[in-house]
This record gives sequence, C-alpha cells and structure tokens, in this order.
Amino acid sequence: MRRIVKTKNQISIPSSLDYLKDVDQFVEGKLKRIGLSESELADVAISVTEAVTNAIVHGNKNDEDKKVEVTLKIKEPDLVVWVKDQGEGFDPGAVPNPVAKDNILKKVGRGIFILKSLMDDVDFEFQSDGGTLVKMVKRFKPAKKSQDKRI
Amino acid sequence: MKLSFREVKDVMVLSPKGKIMGGPDATQMHDQLHEFINQGKKKVVIDLAKVDWMNSTGLGILISGLTTMRNSDGELKLANVTEKIQSLLTITKLITVFECYDSVQEAAESFK
Repeated sequence: MRRIVKTKNQISIPSSLDYLKDVDQFVEGKLKRIGLSESELADVAISVTEAVTNAIVHGNKNDEDKKVEVTLKIKEPDLVVWVKDQGEGFDPGAVPNPVAKDNILKKVGRGIFILKSLMDDVDFEFQSDGGTLVKMVKRFKPAKKSQDKRI
Repeated sequence: MKLSFREVKDVMVLSPKGKIMGGPDATQMHDQLHEFINQGKKKVVIDLAKVDWMNSTGLGILISGLTTMRNSDGELKLANVTEKIQSLLTITKLITVFECYDSVQEAAESFK
C-alpha cells in the first residue's frame, strides 16, 4: 500500500525520495527528546537520509510498491537505527572509494562512506527472504539524567 | 530546502536555506544555475550560512553546480560554510575542490 505508516518507534514509506522529508521529520522529532547535541542530531539525521536514499534508489529501485522501514531504539548510551528495504542486496565491498582521486568529482557514491564516518557502528545484513537491513549505532551522552530515555 | 538569490555587483549569490537532502532539491539548484548561464552570469557564490546540514546528495548538487559553471567558463565558490558542512567537505576531500570563504563579500571580491 503506497502510504506512510508510523508507529511509536517506526516509520514505513513507499520507495520514493519525495518521502525523505517525512522520515527526517519523524526521526528528528523523536531524537530531539533524548538530549543529543545539535551536532550528534545532525550526524544521525544525515546518516538516516543516506541509508534511506540507498534503500529507495539502489535497494527498491524506486518501486513505490516496495517499502522502506526505519526503526529507532534507545538503549543508553546507544541510539540504534535500522533501515530495511525489500531489494536484492548489494556487495558493500564493491562500492568504489569516493575519496580516490578519480572519484572525487563524481556526483554520487558517497552515501555509505558518509554514514560510516558519522555513526559509531554500521552493519549491513542481507535477509534470506530478500532485502537489506542497515543497522547504525550512535553513542551519545544524554544532556540530563532525568530526561525520558524512551522514544 | 528553500532557494533565493541576489546580485552583488556582477556576482550572483545563491542562498539555500534548511536541509539539502535530495528529492526536488537537486533540480532547483541546477535550474537556477542554468538560468544564470543563459543570462551570461557566470560568477556564482553559494552562501551556506542558513543551511542546517546536507547529505551526500547535497554534496553532489554542489559538485554538479561547480562542473556546470566551469563547463560554461564560469566559476562557483562557497561562502559561510558551517562547521557541519566543513566537516563533510573535509572527510570527502571535497575541501580540495571548492574555494571557501568566510563571507559572501570575501567570496565576491575574490573573482577577477
């Protein structure tokens, strides 16, 4: 079904970049409550848009009948984000190095490099029933002990 | 992203605002630069002061803008690069490709 579905910790979108803003609003809305610094919040927001863009374009090939799911979980000091698509997977080792001299001026190909640079841990899991699950972890220091830890 | 522009002497200053993350953002900047080129305006500064952050799509938009201007014998420079964007330009080594200035005025005055 081509529509946005939200639960407490998850947003699911059809595979179109038109919905990227909705994912960002959902994620930033949740994360503003947990005391991340502005810089940490931007790191996570940028990384989520990178993973979701890859899932839409390379995973689901812009097929709006396929969905991309973004799930958040806080377990101090870790913020964990999963991005799941319904595509055929890829070989992360085969992605060209975007900082190699010949690739510097290319318009695309930096997404995975950037999310690996901004997040503390990044894993790719390829599901047996198809689809790629990207797990990203950001370690953070909450601003106040008394703040609600739960999303 | 919202996009506005102004002219400072013979330099076009493009001012994106918000987050640059893809979708319609890419075509907006591209179309505006082509309009400048069609009008014979080939000195462009992108003022990043009001950009919260950008992702790799945003960086791709800047690179596309740079090559578009250079292919038309023009030039594109950056001003007011925020700390977050500076750090992205550094890790991707794009800092070696773009001329960055602390203010629009400095960027505008750097054109010969």
